[in-house]
Amino acid sequence: MSTLHVLSHSPFGDDRLSSCLRVIGANDALLLSGDAAYALQPGTAPFSALNDRSLALYVLAEDAQARAIEIPDWAKAIEYPAFVELSIHHDKVNSWL
Amino acid sequence: MAKSLLIISRQSPWSGPGAREALDIVLAGGAFDLPIGLLFLDDGVFQLAAQQNAKALQQKDLSANLQALPMFGVEELFVCSDSVAERGLAPEALSLEEAQALAADEITALIDRYDQVITL
Amino acid sequence: MKFAIAIFSAAHAPSSRRALLFAQAALAGGHEIVRLFFYQDGVFNASSSVVTPQDEQDLPKQWCSFVSEHQLDGVVCIAAALRRGVLNEEEAKRYQREAIAVGAPWELSGLGQLHDAVQDADRLICFGGA
Repeated sequence: MSTLHVLSHSPFGDDRLSSCLRVIGANDALLLSGDAAYALQPGTAPFSALNDRSLALYVLAEDAQARAIEIPDWAKAIEYPAFVELSIHHDKVNSWL
Repeated sequence: MAKSLLIISRQSPWSGPGAREALDIVLAGGAFDLPIGLLFLDDGVFQLAAQQNAKALQQKDLSANLQALPMFGVEELFVCSDSVAERGLAPEALSLEEAQALAADEITALIDRYDQVITL
Repeated sequence: MKFAIAIFSAAHAPSSRRALLFAQAALAGGHEIVRLFFYQDGVFNASSSVVTPQDEQDLPKQWCSFVSEHQLDGVVCIAAALRRGVLNEEEAKRYQREAIAVGAPWELSGLGQLHDAVQDADRLICFGGA
């Protein structure tokens, strides 16, 4: 069993990312959407926290583009069709609303 | 067989209707006899703090509804022990005795066990 | 694959736009949407009272055409809608309110419809917050 976790809040001043990283399982994946894409801002604590974990990490391409976020080679930018496929590949989707 | 649903409630009882509306999903599921679980995480654990006073804010008390969960057929109740500790709450003083305290790895396993999940 | 999609944020929230794009991509990929369920501030997506500035994306209008065009089941939680003043004709009459904000293709109904959709679908996917 595996879960696709989806975050959409900025990791700065919000504990969703840290809570998610605490409970995310070895077979799970994480998709950063909206302001959660700021977690890929280099030289920051969220960036290091994600880099330290060998997670299956995705970011919604439009959100990274809009925010001028460069995508590191350990994350993958995806469009909506791939988002749909990811949600099928995993048994459930846990959106941190 | 009915699909199971885990609700993860992350909001304090005083931050707007969020906590109540999360609980309403749980109660509706219980009313339909569906397999529902409820996990209190992050600020959601404040819903279980003892001796809160809803009247101070002219609001309705959420804790009465929480106490009624087992009567509504919702017996799978969990609380994140890290969230409780971080917020300075005493685990033994939580108002919902039925809630089982879970460590992070047990929460991973809990999410795995349910068919679908809603985190509010 | 059968999807149930639940929307928890208002029309002006970026997550509501993502929900629509996800729903469109799901149908384009040959999948089925068993129900769209609007809860909490998500009820505002079904409001015909929202006036969007001309140079901005009109999400309530886009939802409305999307649901009509594909004949989807668009359910708005009645309790959440009443609390937020998003009434249909029947509820406006019942509570003696003047403003009617919800009509076809939307249906006001209870939370049971969310559970029902979860039971029907292979996946539940929620959009909300930021």
